[in-house]
Amino acid sequence: MTKRWRYGWFVNFMPTAWKTPWAQTSPRRWLSGEFYIEMARMLESAGIDFIMLEDSVTVPDTFGGSMDLELMYTTRSPKNDPIPLASAIAAGTRHLGIVVTMSTTLYPPWMLARVLASLDHLSRGRIGWNIVTSAEDRAAQNFGMDKIFEHGHRYERAHEYVDLVRQLWGAWEPDALVMDRGQGRYVDHTKVRHIDFAGKWFKSRGPLNTLPLPQGHPVIAQAGGSPPGRGLAAAEADVIVSAPKGIASMKSYRDDIRQRMEQVGRDPDSCKVLYMVTPLVGETMADAQAKARRMYDEDPDAIMRKLALMSSAQIDYSQFDLDAPLPDIPDERGGQSIVNELRKQGPDKTLRKLISGSSQSESLTLIGTPESIVDQMEEAMAEVGGDGFLFFAGGGGLITRHYLTEILDGLMPELSRRGLARDTYPHQLFRDNLLLP
Amino acid sequence: MGAKPFHLGWFMSFRPPAWNSPFCAPVDAREWASGDFYVDFARSLERARFDYMMIEDSSMVSDIHAGSYEIDLKHALYAPKHDPVALVPWMTGATTHLGVVATMSASFYPPFMLARTMTTLDHMSGGRVGWNIVTSSEDRAAQNYGLDKLYEHDERYDRADEFVEVVEKLWDSWEPAALVLDCDSGKYADASKVHPINHEGRYFKVRGPMNTARSPQGRPVFCQAGGSPRGRDFAAAHAETIIASAQGVAAMREFREDIRHRMAERGRNPDDCKILFVVNPTVGATDAEAQAVRESWTAPAVQRYRAEAALGHLSALTETDFSSFPLDQPIPDVTTNGHRSTLSDFIRMGTGGKTLGEVAAAWSIESVPLVGSPATIAAEMDEVMQEVGGDGFLITGAGTRRYITEITDGLVPALQARGLTRTAYSHTTFRDNLMEF
Repeated sequence: MTKRWRYGWFVNFMPTAWKTPWAQTSPRRWLSGEFYIEMARMLESAGIDFIMLEDSVTVPDTFGGSMDLELMYTTRSPKNDPIPLASAIAAGTRHLGIVVTMSTTLYPPWMLARVLASLDHLSRGRIGWNIVTSAEDRAAQNFGMDKIFEHGHRYERAHEYVDLVRQLWGAWEPDALVMDRGQGRYVDHTKVRHIDFAGKWFKSRGPLNTLPLPQGHPVIAQAGGSPPGRGLAAAEADVIVSAPKGIASMKSYRDDIRQRMEQVGRDPDSCKVLYMVTPLVGETMADAQAKARRMYDEDPDAIMRKLALMSSAQIDYSQFDLDAPLPDIPDERGGQSIVNELRKQGPDKTLRKLISGSSQSESLTLIGTPESIVDQMEEAMAEVGGDGFLFFAGGGGLITRHYLTEILDGLMPELSRRGLARDTYPHQLFRDNLLLP
Repeated sequence: MGAKPFHLGWFMSFRPPAWNSPFCAPVDAREWASGDFYVDFARSLERARFDYMMIEDSSMVSDIHAGSYEIDLKHALYAPKHDPVALVPWMTGATTHLGVVATMSASFYPPFMLARTMTTLDHMSGGRVGWNIVTSSEDRAAQNYGLDKLYEHDERYDRADEFVEVVEKLWDSWEPAALVLDCDSGKYADASKVHPINHEGRYFKVRGPMNTARSPQGRPVFCQAGGSPRGRDFAAAHAETIIASAQGVAAMREFREDIRHRMAERGRNPDDCKILFVVNPTVGATDAEAQAVRESWTAPAVQRYRAEAALGHLSALTETDFSSFPLDQPIPDVTTNGHRSTLSDFIRMGTGGKTLGEVAAAWSIESVPLVGSPATIAAEMDEVMQEVGGDGFLITGAGTRRYITEITDGLVPALQARGLTRTAYSHTTFRDNLMEF
């Protein structure tokens, strides 16, 4: 008996493809958000569980030592604020879950709790929060600090932060709104309390000034691959997005998460683990393979883009010889899991070899017809145990409507036919659609 | 000869409409947080060719009155109140020309975050957003953000001056020609036209640059409401539109002349700021019908309810417990670190031996009382503007669909018939429309 998988789509509020086939007519149209709102509608009509809006706050200048290459390959910038987009997507859809990325290092907790509460109401219970801690010094420097906190420390703070915002969301009892016209009483004040939170790093009196959330609190998403990241995910997450390479790593990752959840007293089934993939779908295998060659090997921008993307955590990959193995990279404070994943794939392979032939951040290389790709997905899930996939079209400057339709109108129907996807949303709340069978 | 054409705005918050009015549908009273009421509101204002909608904000539930949340929550005064930033995309998404102003506090927002959110909103609205610059006025709000007390009144404005300097630098960190979008060179943006700001001031340290492209208006329209001398200086330095609540025509005229004088002293053209006076018109089909509505407010039960709400409101605003003063005595001498001009206006209403209870029952924030048929009120607004010199009115008041219609489909057509308010938008951006006359 097959069971339904969960599907998300990971996207950046950034330029869409602008210099490749299937680009839009204007390279600046993404700025208005309309493409992404339309995309959300497409995801909804295909039965995708949620859209996940990534975020970061810098124009990187590590790759090549200046902003030049970044603003040529647009891997991280320009990037708009995902919060207003999440709101506009809520206005333009009715069922889709909307996960927005916000940093525990950069957002004042009361402000974060309140904007997510407001969005949960506007979406009638469809908001999720992707917890990130931010990894770049450049991000810290936009917020008054010289350096970002050390990796482990960021996660310690994140635990306290999440504890605080959960208390804020809980400060209004679910039935606080009484709307008693006879007494002229809108809210029963005995059901609203301040929290007087005073932790090691954060302090907030509370309560929040918003009504209790339709979902109680947003769906919590997390992506940590490092041990502290996994710890946070196991403790807090309703959905985890990850990209361990290959079936064995996928399985050990999920097993580890489930074990950690049990250790903290959680039911492992109360969190879904999704794996990042960038399927390349063709009408024939040859068609798909040609597409992959064009995308990964023949496109001169592809290698540069990957190196730029990898350079986001204080390492300039432009310093390495593309045709030699990756040298030892000293421990640094951010992005550890990306570096380790890469080296694990072959300490003797050249850098060019390591990063060509597939998307950088995907668990499985899926190139083929809808049938062959779903076969591969089934094989992986049978081994791994669950729970689904997170689609990703590549970072800034890559997504097209053409790609979206290939997945949504090509691959999803095949998944549906096999009973692995549904195109209806039986529940009002995102959490229920995600977690209930 | 009538007044010169003037501007219309509406002052509101993302909070329950007049839920206890017989003309408020229960669905709006209960589900305002889902946005539909406000979307319809915005469309109505656009139909009536308002320049803008201003979403006020605050960051607390207040328990200053009698040491309890009761009065605040019973009347839904300060809470529930949801985040204006989350609402803006709903309003701009449903309109094409209306300006939408969001209140964001310079005391609580990290400047980079505010600058980026505003840039994104400006992109998404096609250049139609404004920022109402506030410094917040309550310790209760500060305590939600981990502070024990709010900064002292004048220091808040010193910080805000530097805050504005920082966000202006961020908005200018991408030159207008930075996006080159050149497929041949592969260059999306020209890094030589994107600049770190390296701001290091007394209160803020921000490296920059902004991580997204310059928005249609470059920066949002600046709105401000300070009435104290320090607040007026701040407004004269930065504001492009001011929310003013002077009491009576003479005070309105004095306020406007004072601001224009302060602007000229700083080398700004006084016509570059539009001063809109807060009014709360009671519109009836006939003068008698409107008078009857105001009369109904003097019934003892209504007076008691209104006085209770007014004292809760003042307690929250000034952080002084007004429940501790006898209602049948004159207003005691009170000072505040919060809303200074609002408090002094209230105290002034008590001159001539009125009691606290009488003043509280009659209290409303309006520059001139406007009661009558559309024609009567339009004539009066005409006269007031001739006396004051400009630049328009900001409607506030009961949020019901019926009330909104009385203004948009009753009063505004009468103003338009006199040639006093616009019948069309001449430009695409908010600033260009606001500065048109």
